[in-house]
Amino acid sequence: MSECGVMSENMPMLLTESLDPVQRERTHQHIESCAACASEWSAMKETWQILETLPTVEVPARVKKRFLAEISAASAVPANVVPFRRRSAARWLAEAAAVVIVGGSAFYAGHRTTPNVDPRSTPAEITSYSIAESRVLPAASISPTIEGRPDIQNVQFTDASPSNPQIGVSFDITSHVTVTGKPADKSMVRLLRYVLENEDKMSPSRSRAIDWVRATYSRVDNPDPEITEALANVLRNDEHQGVRIKAADTLQSMQSAMTDGTRDALVEALKNDPNPAVRVKAVEALAKLARSGAVLDPDMLDTLRKKAAQGDENVYVRVKAAEALSSIQPR
Amino acid sequence: MKPTIRILIAVAALFPATHLLATTFQPNNRIVRQLTIEPGGSVWIDNPFGSIDVIGGEGTVISVTADRSIVASDAVALKEAADAVAIAFDGDSKVRLIRTVMPALRNAHATIDYTIRVPKNVAVKIGSKSADHIRVSHITGSVTVNGFAGTVIMEDVSGASALNVVNGRVIYDYQQNPIAKADVQAVNADIDVYVPASAKFEWLADTINGDILTTFPIHGGRFAGTIFRGQVNGPGGPTINTATMMGRVLLLAKGSNPGQASSMRLNPPQHRPTPGDVMLAPAVKVQLPFHNGDWPFVASIADIAIGEIRGNAHIRIGAGEVELGAVFGQCTVTLMGGPLNLGDITGLLSAHTGAGDILVRAARMGGEVSTDGGLLRVLYTGGPMTLRSGGGDIIVGQTSGAIDAQTTSGDITITGDPRQRTLKVGARTTQGNVNLIVSPRFGADIDATIVTSDPDVNEMHIDFTGLTVRREQAGAKTRIHATGKINGGGERVELYAAEGDIHISAQAIAPVRLANPRR
Repeated sequence: MSECGVMSENMPMLLTESLDPVQRERTHQHIESCAACASEWSAMKETWQILETLPTVEVPARVKKRFLAEISAASAVPANVVPFRRRSAARWLAEAAAVVIVGGSAFYAGHRTTPNVDPRSTPAEITSYSIAESRVLPAASISPTIEGRPDIQNVQFTDASPSNPQIGVSFDITSHVTVTGKPADKSMVRLLRYVLENEDKMSPSRSRAIDWVRATYSRVDNPDPEITEALANVLRNDEHQGVRIKAADTLQSMQSAMTDGTRDALVEALKNDPNPAVRVKAVEALAKLARSGAVLDPDMLDTLRKKAAQGDENVYVRVKAAEALSSIQPR
Repeated sequence: MKPTIRILIAVAALFPATHLLATTFQPNNRIVRQLTIEPGGSVWIDNPFGSIDVIGGEGTVISVTADRSIVASDAVALKEAADAVAIAFDGDSKVRLIRTVMPALRNAHATIDYTIRVPKNVAVKIGSKSADHIRVSHITGSVTVNGFAGTVIMEDVSGASALNVVNGRVIYDYQQNPIAKADVQAVNADIDVYVPASAKFEWLADTINGDILTTFPIHGGRFAGTIFRGQVNGPGGPTINTATMMGRVLLLAKGSNPGQASSMRLNPPQHRPTPGDVMLAPAVKVQLPFHNGDWPFVASIADIAIGEIRGNAHIRIGAGEVELGAVFGQCTVTLMGGPLNLGDITGLLSAHTGAGDILVRAARMGGEVSTDGGLLRVLYTGGPMTLRSGGGDIIVGQTSGAIDAQTTSGDITITGDPRQRTLKVGARTTQGNVNLIVSPRFGADIDATIVTSDPDVNEMHIDFTGLTVRREQAGAKTRIHATGKINGGGERVELYAAEGDIHISAQAIAPVRLANPRR
């Protein structure tokens, strides 16, 4: 079977997010590189969304209770582990099919035999199971490793008050999840990194995510370098100039967490970014770094020196590069 | 085999030998060495830390005296540094390389001061990171200096010279009329050139922060941007190029009084005014709590912080940061680069920067604000505004006037004043989202367009009913077009987002209340 054929077979399971992480990544990569599969995937997603708009068939409580009792034993998961994966496709599809068949049959039979009975008239039998589940999870209880590429939507950030060290990230995955924890919690850092580095998973916008990260982590004494590395990746790769400006600006405010990688990203932005505001933020960040007494490597010094002398560069960038050089003590 | 590869192999082969040849200082801290060199040969000196004196003379011998100083935190570090810091003598009688061997030292800092006597006709090349001074004197051959920090003195150097310096100072002292080209490129260094009064040469000078001063009469002097070009004592002669970005340039006729030097930037001879002349104005810093009356201001580089301008502000700056708390009249600010932070602007606002963010807290009468690249935020405008960004988000916190906003890449967010039942709005981003937030009773004729290569990702989110949404395929792109009236119609609202979403949200909005200015 051709690779496209294999990927095509994977798509239903990708849709239900039940592929294993390796296959999921592979399938995503193939879809991104293959126009035909991308088109098929797009059509499949559209169909899936249309399915959501079909009318819901009410299932009799008795049937639902029995059905849930059967599946609850099989789907037991340790309480302290919340994987970023959905249930397996087969199980999911079997459940969905069972609900549709049983519900449809019951609906049909019910209408044939008891036409005037309102199913809502038996509230005592409705279980507490909610399809639109919403969960709040402490960051400490989830694994910092995010497997695969979970499709998270409607990302929102919560930060109660400056006096409260707790922050929260809410998103929709299989259910609506809110992860709460301290900004320094590794799981929280990894989650934010994932949010920052996966624009296509972000809704409504990464620009707001960076605003929030800046507001949150500027209050943290020693922010985790993973956050600055994520921002550096945004600075390197994001197509949106507004987002890159904010990434560079935020890096400037997180000097204590700078790594070699983040410095390199700033140098690269100063050298090559077409937006002058990104170069302004990058050179300001490097100037601040120089003023703080940090040792700048020869590539940084060379870049600053060239920028200061570059006649066609924006004069403000040149001045800031010169200012940075003036505060450097060679070592 | 390519020459580069041959050179690399040769360097690799010589590298271990360099260490074998390295001369250590022990038991004392001075090395004296004599080396022969052919006439017209080259002497290369590479000394990262420490002063260098190169003195030209007669003969064919190079005489090197090196004095080492080590400062260490303890005896162990001192011994380690003493063992590690050495001098390598490489090359042959055509090219001599004198190189300080200085690995990274732990808890110690070492400098080596060199005094090197060479035949005056050799070419001299010097590399340095930090030196109290680098002095080259009585040399007729070419001289090249590449330094980072320190004072570089060229004394009676008649050969061609090229200096590249970052911080410190450069002094040229010509004993005789210059006969060869001199080129000085500095970043933060001042440059002083002393030349006999009868010398004839072409002078180029460039600085964006300092001044260009001379006691010579200049013929045909003119500026091209910040670069000044003039003839000293008539046409002809070599070119002396003195460029320092943040320092000042001083060209003095020997025997003249430096106090009588005139500024070429302030009094450019035969100069026709151009828009770029702002870079010829002096650099200043201004910090004032308030200014009574109008405030016209021009500077090449300036950081400005003024609490209140009780009149009109007209500001033109090359590069800098501008912060104005309040302007009671009209406000016109033009920067070639730098951020703008404007408070409460009572009159019409016109602000532009070549690069950087712009924040306007309140533009009571509206106006025009633009940046060639940067974020643009207007917290409140009471009048119509035109907003342009060459790349960056545009945010209008609340507007009572018409808005025309465009950015090449970035999100546009506009919130309407809830007291306005309708507003004319134009928002266009060629890469990003458009968010329009208005009150639920807002009425308008909507024309919203998304052009996207991924219609599953980019969508319209409209809280109002009554719009017709159409999808069309145009090549590889999908065009999503929403038109119609909301709440019975009103002013035209034209929104365009390429590769982004459009949100028209109905929300309860608290109106902005501005304090009356204290006059």
